[in-house]
Amino acid sequence: MLAEPHRWVEAIRQRRAYIEDQLKDVSPVIGLPYTDGLLLVTTTPGPRKIFEVYDQLALAGVGHPADMEKVRRAAIDIAHVEAYNLSSADVTAYRLVASGIGPLMKTAFDEVVRSPFIARLMVAELGGVDDAPAFYTVEADGSFAPAERVAVVGGEAAAVNACREYVERRAASGSWSLDEAIQAALHAWGCGWLAAQGEIDPGEQRIISCLGRSLETARVEAVVLDRTLATTTKFRLLGGDELDRVTRRYTGGER
Amino acid sequence: MDDADFLNLIKRHGHGTWSQPAAGAAAEHLPAQAEGTTILAVRYQSGVMVAGDRRATTGNVVVHDRADKVLCIDDAVVMALSGSPAMAVEIGRLLEMTFQHYRRSQLQPLSLDGKLRVLSRLIRENLTMAMQGIGAVVPILAAYDDAADAGRIYFYDLLGAQFESVDFCTTGSGAHIIRGALYYLDRWGPVPLASMDEVAALELVGRMLETAARYDTATGGFLPAAGVYPQVMRLDAGGITRISEDRLERIYRTRLQQA
Repeated sequence: MLAEPHRWVEAIRQRRAYIEDQLKDVSPVIGLPYTDGLLLVTTTPGPRKIFEVYDQLALAGVGHPADMEKVRRAAIDIAHVEAYNLSSADVTAYRLVASGIGPLMKTAFDEVVRSPFIARLMVAELGGVDDAPAFYTVEADGSFAPAERVAVVGGEAAAVNACREYVERRAASGSWSLDEAIQAALHAWGCGWLAAQGEIDPGEQRIISCLGRSLETARVEAVVLDRTLATTTKFRLLGGDELDRVTRRYTGGER
Repeated sequence: MDDADFLNLIKRHGHGTWSQPAAGAAAEHLPAQAEGTTILAVRYQSGVMVAGDRRATTGNVVVHDRADKVLCIDDAVVMALSGSPAMAVEIGRLLEMTFQHYRRSQLQPLSLDGKLRVLSRLIRENLTMAMQGIGAVVPILAAYDDAADAGRIYFYDLLGAQFESVDFCTTGSGAHIIRGALYYLDRWGPVPLASMDEVAALELVGRMLETAARYDTATGGFLPAAGVYPQVMRLDAGGITRISEDRLERIYRTRLQQA
């Protein structure tokens, strides 16, 4: 049946709808700048969603954990083979996405007899070549796009846009300390969550109470790419204490 | 899961660790290689001191006076090399990438035993070439074992067999000159080597390298006039510290030149 072109187009359309449906309720990942580098924030009921790929590269994603794991392992392999053959300086986000992750996901998406990757991803790069963008986002069909300062990957478009707009509106006011950036990201996350329920432009109090409820069942996961770290790797998973300092405000200090 | 294995991964990508030499190729058909050196590792009170001279030679010609033979592989492992520098640097690089790849892909650091095993494999892969007299590498690996809270020194033979040497180890063209001295000091010296403090350990490795340089032309010692000092690294509970040239210069002036 797939020999007929319109059947193939049909099949592709169906899997687009299927992926969209699978990703509907995911908790988005938000990437944004702060004083010392880049911050990535999300919430999760359990599995990790933000990972180290190379010294200055982080990969984060929403979707099926097993698909996420496949892409993560592929990205790490590509980065390390590249670094071994050439040098660490030659491992860049653009090349990782454009010639690695993008084609990998596109191939899986196009082969309609195999299952596609149910995942949307973000690659963050600290201090790329010249004025390289800080983030790339990759769709389940392998298409990718740069994001200069703020990047969001998640489920429904309304939620993702609400997240991004929240951060962009506030990011204009200058650079954030780590705590400020975590708080902005969490508020953006809350905005997105409410937007998915049809609530647009909620007030701060509304966002805070929404976060309080959400954080009862999920934990915050956050990572920095911190240019001030003395080690060659600039990736650091934030610890419970650092996050508690900010989330206490929503959870009433119980966690 | 062989996917976790970086060595297999690069082979699958067509970057086999080493090319094999043509059949019949042997050392006598090739120009002499740069391989003279003295490296040593000594356990002291709070860890391990690893040192190496910086001279690279081809036959009786000094090729380079600032060769790096003590390589920091990650934040807990130092490798010091004697033998073919080209191979040694390649092995160092592969080790570093293997440890990093493992840590990132498995989301946990490779254990010390795992790290030792990787080095064993790399040396064995290099065996064909070593047997033909090209590119033999005999490394010393020093690590700080957090679990046991102690420094460890391991050395290898050409087949990749791994030995843990308790208190001191030296390899390279100048090793035979100082090996006896180290044994003597450890057994009958003022204190056993493992009880030395940091300054005494620095003084010891400096004096040993000077002694090796005195009788082995392939070992360069301290050359303060040219600003060349050995490479010395210290491993302790706080991690790896490279001893600065300023400090080595002071040690040379106060404890080697006039003591």
